[in-house]
Amino acid sequence: MSVPNTMRVGPFCASVLVKKKYLILYIFLIWLTLLPAILEIWWYWQLLWYEIRPLHFYIFLPLVLLVIYVLTVFAAIIFTKILLVIINIFHKPREGTFLRDSSDKDYRYWSLRNTLKKWPTWLAHKFPFPFLDNVCFKILGVKTKLSSSLFEGWVDTEFMEIGKNVVIGQGAIIQSSVIVGNLLIIRKTIIEENVRVGTHVIIMPGTHIGKNCIVNTWSSTMVGQELEEGWVYNGSPAKKFKKNRFFEDIPIEKLNKSIGDLDLLLKKYDEQRVARVVKERRFLHRKDKEEKTTVEEE
Amino acid sequence: MNEEIEKEEDEQSKEEEDESDFVIDFTTSSAINKVGLKFLIVYIPIFWFSGLIIATLWYGYEISPVQWEIKLLFLPLLLLGFSFLFIFSCLFFSKLLLIFINLIHEPKEGIFRTERGNMDFEFWRLRTEIKKIALWLLRNWPLPWIDVIAFRWFGIKMDFTSHLNDAWCDAEFISFGKHVTIGQGAVVMSSMVVGNYLIIRKIRFDDYALIGGQSTIAPGTHIGEDTVLGAVSVTTLNQDLENGWIYSGIPARKLKLNQYAEMRRDIIQKVDVDEEKKVETEHEVNIDEDKKHLINQAKRGADE
Repeated sequence: MSVPNTMRVGPFCASVLVKKKYLILYIFLIWLTLLPAILEIWWYWQLLWYEIRPLHFYIFLPLVLLVIYVLTVFAAIIFTKILLVIINIFHKPREGTFLRDSSDKDYRYWSLRNTLKKWPTWLAHKFPFPFLDNVCFKILGVKTKLSSSLFEGWVDTEFMEIGKNVVIGQGAIIQSSVIVGNLLIIRKTIIEENVRVGTHVIIMPGTHIGKNCIVNTWSSTMVGQELEEGWVYNGSPAKKFKKNRFFEDIPIEKLNKSIGDLDLLLKKYDEQRVARVVKERRFLHRKDKEEKTTVEEE
Repeated sequence: MNEEIEKEEDEQSKEEEDESDFVIDFTTSSAINKVGLKFLIVYIPIFWFSGLIIATLWYGYEISPVQWEIKLLFLPLLLLGFSFLFIFSCLFFSKLLLIFINLIHEPKEGIFRTERGNMDFEFWRLRTEIKKIALWLLRNWPLPWIDVIAFRWFGIKMDFTSHLNDAWCDAEFISFGKHVTIGQGAVVMSSMVVGNYLIIRKIRFDDYALIGGQSTIAPGTHIGEDTVLGAVSVTTLNQDLENGWIYSGIPARKLKLNQYAEMRRDIIQKVDVDEEKKVETEHEVNIDEDKKHLINQAKRGADE
């Protein structure tokens, strides 16, 4: 159903560089997009306002307001697209690893792009009917189809390729850019057709998910991970759980099976859990070496 | 002979593999796949009719012969009322539509194919789309508990003692007991999309169930009385969480007995020492002196 406040992760980038001059562009964009709406209301007023008998005006007003809202979203998307095209002439967006610092040109332009994209994606996301999200993503540069549902999760708006008939779960995060320490990593994420992504899944940049995959709830992928076609994946980082046969034609009685032994299942999950080995710090080694050398000297 | 036996064994093992393949022991999501542009037809009348009510009222406000200063004074109150009225008329019209749709096709539990032409699937999509609009409006409203009204209208059994204003929740096939708390960012879904199949199963929360933040409740889950599910945990399909236990993990497993349950409701705390023997201990409650008599009252009430 409707997305609650805590999960309304909304299409925005949390760690963009905040600069006042971006705000000027942002406000300019909002101003620009609201102008057509005012024009439309004025035009409607001219057309149907009749002082003595304003019946027609009031009857069609709710409908017209709805249409104006949708048109405003489209205007926001188009004006943003124009601005983005202009910005991309100055600096072409590219993949790679960049320094997260205002001296880095790629990082600055990435922040600017994300700041600008915030307005149309936010506006499209506010509308309860989901098709505006898909249109917004499509125009802003995500290769996708209307048949996939991207509106319950958080999806980055550039360097993404999402095939048809993809379902992205509630609160899932699909990103093509990530900030690690002092670095900004931008890599293209590809999700092929018929992929089902579970709730709260985190897909890192550079992930390539093959056709007919299912990603279990609360799994996550690593940067640049490849998920093979036709498997159910689980865990963080995602590992093969079992073969995905749910895209075949199976008699429905077979699916009604209960899980059976829960302990076995827990074991199966536990085996997939990756135990992290904490590496020894480098300075410890150095100390050891120093000690050894001193011992040898003695 | 040996070859035949081997063959048979092979077939048997294959069948076993097949069966384990089809068991759904993982949890995915319940987002609608395929955005149906045709469902926009449902949205327009709901918006239009509710908007018409507001438009007529606004017209009445405009032509009323009251002085403009007084009109302006009451404008904020009026706008508040209008927005409430708009939301509730949206709720009303979507409920009407839902009744009409449910007459054509009754919602039911089960496993369905997500194909065009499968009536159960198509009507599930239509229902969720209709319910979305009122819920979206209510959830964008700053009163946190008000979406309970919408959930009740749409067929979830719950009352105002439970709340899930910060959780994602399907609006059908769920029943809540009393005093159920659901954490922030939790996902409660009675429907799930697995591959080409849609699974709809009823979820039941018993009294005093507590769900941690960001956890996922799969369809068919039954959560017993006084059961706690920790944060970041997931239940699998049709999982049954027993009464009075703390569960946690992916998938949810028993952690320990929920001893906090009894403590929470009584002012005198009961502590389990052994599983057989119960010892009652009185704990100091940190409240003001002049309100201590309230505790004694409650104690006397409990004794009687």
